Amino acid sequence: MGLIKSIKNLGKNTLYYPGCLTKFVLKDINDNYKKILTKIDIEYITLKDLEVCCGSPILNCGHEEEAIELIKKNYKIFKEHSVNKIITSCPACYHTFKNTYPKFLEKWDLQVEHITQTIDKAIKEKKINIESLDIDLTYHDPCHLGRYCEIYQEPRNILKKIGNIKEMKLTENYSFCCGGGSGVKSNYTPLANSIAKERIEMAKETKAKCLTTTCPMCYLNLKENSKDLKVKEISQLIIGEEE
Amino acid sequence: MNLEKDIEKCQITQKLILPIMYDYKRKRDLLIDENQKEQMRTELRKIKEKAIDNIEELKKKAIKNLEENGINVIEVKDKQEFENAIKKIIGSEKLITKSKSNVIKEIEIEKMLKDKEILETDLGDFIVQISDEKSLHPVTPGMHLTPENIVKTIKEKFDKEVQPTPEAIAAFARQFLRDKIYKAKVGLTGANVISADGSIFILENEGNISLISRIVDKHIVVTGWDKIVENREEAQKIVQASSIFASGQNYPVYVSIISGPSKTADIQKKLIIGAQGAKEVHLILLDNKRSDLLKTEFEELLYCINCGACVNLCPVYHQIFTKYGSKDFSGPKGVITSSFREDKQNAYENGAFFCTSCKLCKENCPVKIDLSELIKKLRKKLAKEKIEPENIKEMIENTKKYGNPFGEIDEKKTPDKFYCC
Repeated sequence: MGLIKSIKNLGKNTLYYPGCLTKFVLKDINDNYKKILTKIDIEYITLKDLEVCCGSPILNCGHEEEAIELIKKNYKIFKEHSVNKIITSCPACYHTFKNTYPKFLEKWDLQVEHITQTIDKAIKEKKINIESLDIDLTYHDPCHLGRYCEIYQEPRNILKKIGNIKEMKLTENYSFCCGGGSGVKSNYTPLANSIAKERIEMAKETKAKCLTTTCPMCYLNLKENSKDLKVKEISQLIIGEEE
Repeated sequence: MNLEKDIEKCQITQKLILPIMYDYKRKRDLLIDENQKEQMRTELRKIKEKAIDNIEELKKKAIKNLEENGINVIEVKDKQEFENAIKKIIGSEKLITKSKSNVIKEIEIEKMLKDKEILETDLGDFIVQISDEKSLHPVTPGMHLTPENIVKTIKEKFDKEVQPTPEAIAAFARQFLRDKIYKAKVGLTGANVISADGSIFILENEGNISLISRIVDKHIVVTGWDKIVENREEAQKIVQASSIFASGQNYPVYVSIISGPSKTADIQKKLIIGAQGAKEVHLILLDNKRSDLLKTEFEELLYCINCGACVNLCPVYHQIFTKYGSKDFSGPKGVITSSFREDKQNAYENGAFFCTSCKLCKENCPVKIDLSELIKKLRKKLAKEKIEPENIKEMIENTKKYGNPFGEIDEKKTPDKFYCC
């Protein structure tokens, strides 16, 4: 289907880029977002294994040259498929496409949107009706979406439809990290877990029933380290999956 | 490096410290709102950028003005030069009273002056010193020690029974330290700011620095040339920010602005240097590889005002404290400086790859130093020499071969090594 649409919309394809962690590890989240995009009537293509890693983890560990290879590969494949806009659900990929690609590729001219922006817009245009789950929830700002890209309100706008937001003591531009980023989750797993536990304590303090976030790494790391507090990726709440 | 053990060992410390760290943020928020904070940061950044951009000129001006004020300024390149200079000033004096200084920590003065008694007079440092412990934090070094542990140490070291309460310990220290401070002829302090119009700014809450700097004959100030700013007005702004960002306190109890040795001309207008305060003021400006940072991608580090705000909310520091960073500075700043002052392998072991790139340190920094970016630049240098965690090599191979960090994807299996972001 993707390819047919790609030919039809010559020069103006929207790509849904889930990012490696969502695509290969959190497959249900990937499906959720595809469903949501369809629901809000956005025509999009996917590039499956044609696209490669955005380069974020490689840049973060100091291997710029190797990252530039990936950046070039992605640009080529995006252009071959007439992509002029990328919607991604991964904050690290979003930051990389939005802020880093233009630094390495002068000709980079693609529009980039984080999926919470897409969904927030759809809510305002009444293209999607999100059902309230009537719960107290708290939101963890992913570093790459918050401090890196200053997207704080869109996810909250969505969550306001779902429940009552209880803010943690370190939030928005002062959000505390989940501990998983920049390779720490795989290089120093005990450290990533320990940080996540500190964050979960902050979430519990709010007395919210659910800790939610919109980053695959934050979700994974927080969920793995939470004993009795429910951790949800925002798409799960949007499609009404409370349990 | 055994992280799991380090994390476990830090759990008790964590319970004591984290509430203090969260409260620090709460207290500061009560003092300044986001707009005021932003204004302050922007202004401070400008002051420091201007100073470091023009540091050679500024240093000359500062030295000229300080010397005109009667302060003996000595520039030293490294530990050896420092040792020669300080030994010459101290001479045969045996007792030296000292206050908190992160710059002095860089040079391990105790090893240099083994035949002298160097007494820490800042309560936190005093406790750390008598407990043979490591300082935990650049501003509040002894916050991990409990009253029970402290009084035990006092009993062992001084054979004195002290109630295990903060009040009783402070009262004991007051008496004990005053006796020593009155006796010492040489006092050693750091400085928070040097203004090029000829003054040294030192801030404190306890009063020990005010006492030392007035009572001794020779007051020796040790600091880095990166503390120099244009004038007293700018220095005053740094003093206030240091207080707000270090501990969420509006203004320090005492600010000593020292512009020369004490003097009088009360008897027939005859100028006498050395009245009731110090007779001599010596300022040692230490380089210790600071010049190596100038005009490099790491120059930003020279903007640092040493408030410690970068670790106050650092997620990694919150788990392992002093295991992250170098002996003279905790956290990412210490990691980077150790790559200059020690070597790359040391920087690796101090945690060059611990940083999660979360940028909360930058958000909390009064001069907006982007430590996450600087850490990435350091990683770039280390990567060139293959000093990096094994996982990274594997991850990069995977992206080259399969286009993703996890490797060959088996539809039926989920990757279990989450190298991402």
